[in-house]
Amino acid sequence: MRKWLARFVALGVAVLVAGQGTTAALAQDPAAGKKIFRVGATQSMDSMNPFLAVRLVSTSIHRWMYGYLTVPDPKTLAPSPDLAESWTTSEDGLTWTFKIRQAKWSDGQPVTAEDAAWTFNKMMTDEAAKTANGPAVENFETVTANGQDLVIKLKAPQASMLENPVPIMPKHAWESVTDMANYDAEKYPSVSSGPYIAVEHKKDQYVKLQANPNYWRGKPKIDELQVIFYDNPQAAVAGLKKGDIDLLGRMTPQEFEAIQNDPNIEAWNTQGRRAAYLQVNHGATTTDGKAVGDGHPALKDVKVRQAVHYAIDKQKLVDEVQNGLAKPADGSIVPPMYKDWFWEATGEEKVTYDPAKANQILDDAGYKKGSDGVRTMPDGKRKLEFRFTIHTDTPVEDKLAEYLTAFLKEVGITVTTVKLDSSKFTEETGTTGNFDIAISGWSVNPDPEEVLATHLCSRRPAPNGEGGGTESFFCDDTFEKLYQDQLKELDRPKRVELIKQMQERLYTQAPIIAIYYTNDLEGYRKDKVTSITPIPEDKGLLYGGSGYWPFYTVDVKAAAAAGASGESGSNTGLIAGIVGVVVILGLGAFFLTRRRKSTADERE
Amino acid sequence: MTTPLESAEPAVQAAGPADDRPARRGTLRYAASKAGGALFSIAMVIVGTFFLFRMLPGDPVRNLAQGRNMTPAQLDLERRRLGLDKPLIDQFFDFVGKTLRLDLGTSYEYKRPVLDLIGERIGPTLLLAGTGLVIAVSLGIWQGTRAGWRHGTRFDRFSTGLSLVLWSVPTFWLGLLLMMVLGVGIGPIPGLFPFRGIESVDAPDGFAYVLDVASHMVLPCLTLVAVVYAQYLLVMRSSLLEEVGQDYVTVARAKGLRDDDVRRRHAVPNALLPTVTLVFMRIGFVVGGAVTVETIFTWPGLGQLFYEAVRVPDFTLMQGTFLLITVAVILMNTLADVVYHILDPRVRSA
Repeated sequence: MRKWLARFVALGVAVLVAGQGTTAALAQDPAAGKKIFRVGATQSMDSMNPFLAVRLVSTSIHRWMYGYLTVPDPKTLAPSPDLAESWTTSEDGLTWTFKIRQAKWSDGQPVTAEDAAWTFNKMMTDEAAKTANGPAVENFETVTANGQDLVIKLKAPQASMLENPVPIMPKHAWESVTDMANYDAEKYPSVSSGPYIAVEHKKDQYVKLQANPNYWRGKPKIDELQVIFYDNPQAAVAGLKKGDIDLLGRMTPQEFEAIQNDPNIEAWNTQGRRAAYLQVNHGATTTDGKAVGDGHPALKDVKVRQAVHYAIDKQKLVDEVQNGLAKPADGSIVPPMYKDWFWEATGEEKVTYDPAKANQILDDAGYKKGSDGVRTMPDGKRKLEFRFTIHTDTPVEDKLAEYLTAFLKEVGITVTTVKLDSSKFTEETGTTGNFDIAISGWSVNPDPEEVLATHLCSRRPAPNGEGGGTESFFCDDTFEKLYQDQLKELDRPKRVELIKQMQERLYTQAPIIAIYYTNDLEGYRKDKVTSITPIPEDKGLLYGGSGYWPFYTVDVKAAAAAGASGESGSNTGLIAGIVGVVVILGLGAFFLTRRRKSTADERE
Repeated sequence: MTTPLESAEPAVQAAGPADDRPARRGTLRYAASKAGGALFSIAMVIVGTFFLFRMLPGDPVRNLAQGRNMTPAQLDLERRRLGLDKPLIDQFFDFVGKTLRLDLGTSYEYKRPVLDLIGERIGPTLLLAGTGLVIAVSLGIWQGTRAGWRHGTRFDRFSTGLSLVLWSVPTFWLGLLLMMVLGVGIGPIPGLFPFRGIESVDAPDGFAYVLDVASHMVLPCLTLVAVVYAQYLLVMRSSLLEEVGQDYVTVARAKGLRDDDVRRRHAVPNALLPTVTLVFMRIGFVVGGAVTVETIFTWPGLGQLFYEAVRVPDFTLMQGTFLLITVAVILMNTLADVVYHILDPRVRSA
């Protein structure tokens, strides 16, 4: 027994020593001398085809690959020139003319207005091409090209025209695609006009992008940008700690705490794009006004919704559910990082944590407390017993439910938690209306129009109970009018004012109750990244930001000749491989020797 | 003399002593009946799968939309594309017909045929789960034999204890632990092994590539082996213990045979049977991969594919992988029955 063990160890050591010699020769690291920046992602690409891709990671990658008409300014986030170098609007706001800049596709062809016109027309005529950004062209009457001029005629004025989320695609490379619904666009290198060209994609493994030498702003500082996919967030955090990846975004507070004290990692904690809120079923209806769902009737009363609002201690939620890495919400669904658009309640209107006031409101409105401490409706028929709908397997929401239950108990309301998987959740809280209060949240774009539009009457389900895309089943005349007004308002400060009024309306009517704005939690390797500019530049976001700015400005140290670059071709990897092989060979050898050897010496 | 499979001789006669090759004929007959049973099960699974996946909550088209605002026209288009606009009965015959032609449909999410996706992912799964199985079985049988033969010794107590601990440890936790200790490194221990994917992003060529893949396999394989080998060890140990008490072992020993020979030639072959069944059952599941292990280590296999399908949720993909795994388990169980039949005369006469 001992003898073979000794032999096995000797063999292992011998191979390892020999391996050290050979690894140097083997590790002709293809990455040597190149500047490679690796980003971790825990969500995989749904499609490389921008007409179909909807996931955040996919749209981010497409932003790095393709030009848009405009791009958020890195300082103010207001629309600034991208492929369109300038633009004009007609008096009536119905005709927009964009001047497309003299730029080149990565294959050398010139970028023309024809490309942009083809892209928009494709979306207007091919249902499948509408998959990703359909609503963006809903209001388009015609789109035509005239030299470098792109002319878009609208059916109605649309102030958010400059925030068009559609990547401009190369007509010459894409016009041969007939079946858009089934086109995966896995053709490399991609024909791009953005800072990067996709050169390789291994589904659920990685995407490799190379700097575009033809990029109109100039070639990025790095040679290659890689997006590395992880199936589970813990592995991604481990990857950042080891240096396999250089940047990781969208971390939870727990994951963020795991990297906070790592000397090689810059923990990047900034205000985020996200608002977390409670969706309150205040009487769900379809677009023809027919009631749907089984929401609690008491929630139709705005007083009850306001009382619920007063009963919530948002600071406590921030401290104990989000580990302090969020900001309590005193506004609506636009987070404070968007300084221009952010609206905050003040004075009388501001709802602070005040259970006594909540009790007072409910008492005054006739919701009497019974002997068990639970209130009943004024007609005495139903108790105030609400369901709180959350997703399964989300520890943060579980915790939130515990706190909410305790808060509402203080004011005589019982809460039970309902957990649904994400598909059922979407259906019950967005279409069938079978809930009382549900968790919700939205990542907001630099122009908040779309997120506000999810509270329009027209976003409720169609009369047959289908379609829509509502966040609250809200349908309010004042809100509708403000929305229509801001659409027509091309003067930015005036439009900002209207959009703030919409947020105020959501705040006072409380079909939703914003609870906090989560911080954007990221981390990057300070031993690798030499510079990176967030967006907005003043302590903004990195991966989580909109636009390509951080990825265009990033600079990293070049990979050393061999071994130093994280995962790839490193000595550790090879040694590890050899150890693995040795273990397997050793096991095999062991069984062989076992067969031949007598066991006499092992007798007891 | 061989009997064609189709011959309709009564079973009693096949097993009777009159025939000069009862075992072979019995086995063929047995295999045929088992194959028939398997076919029936597969047919039931196909039918069951169709209804099971239509009973799942949520409208697949709305799931696809993932909360985006879709116009009724867009929803209709998607429905037509997925064939969901037809009556259920038509959908059913459509599904059965296509499944029999090995057309498992198109994945909603990947927009590609499910069979292609499975084809891409089956290799990595067979590599990982197959290697894991071979190591787990070898280690389990060896350690189980030793522990059973030297029942009550320190080795026995140690290996039984260890395997039981590993068996009860959650796979996810163990995987993360190994990732932290051997992947990232703790304190003075450097990170030794990669823990993401099957190959490096900038993978080298040739022999170095083989080593690269091997190094990526170490942690997932270790996790897989640690959690599954206990069952082989325990089954082997207990069935060997049973044999040790048998008269024939005592006789063999009394004849003065070397202890090693008694164990290897007499006891172990008899004790191996339950383990063989277990191994075959396991091969069926190998096709399904090790969902947890593949998910922890981002291993691009069937397990990961299934996980992704559930996460989306992508009904056709879920349906396709589910069918494949079920059919593999059925086939392997059938094979196990037949092999068992050949190996053990007692099963034949029964």
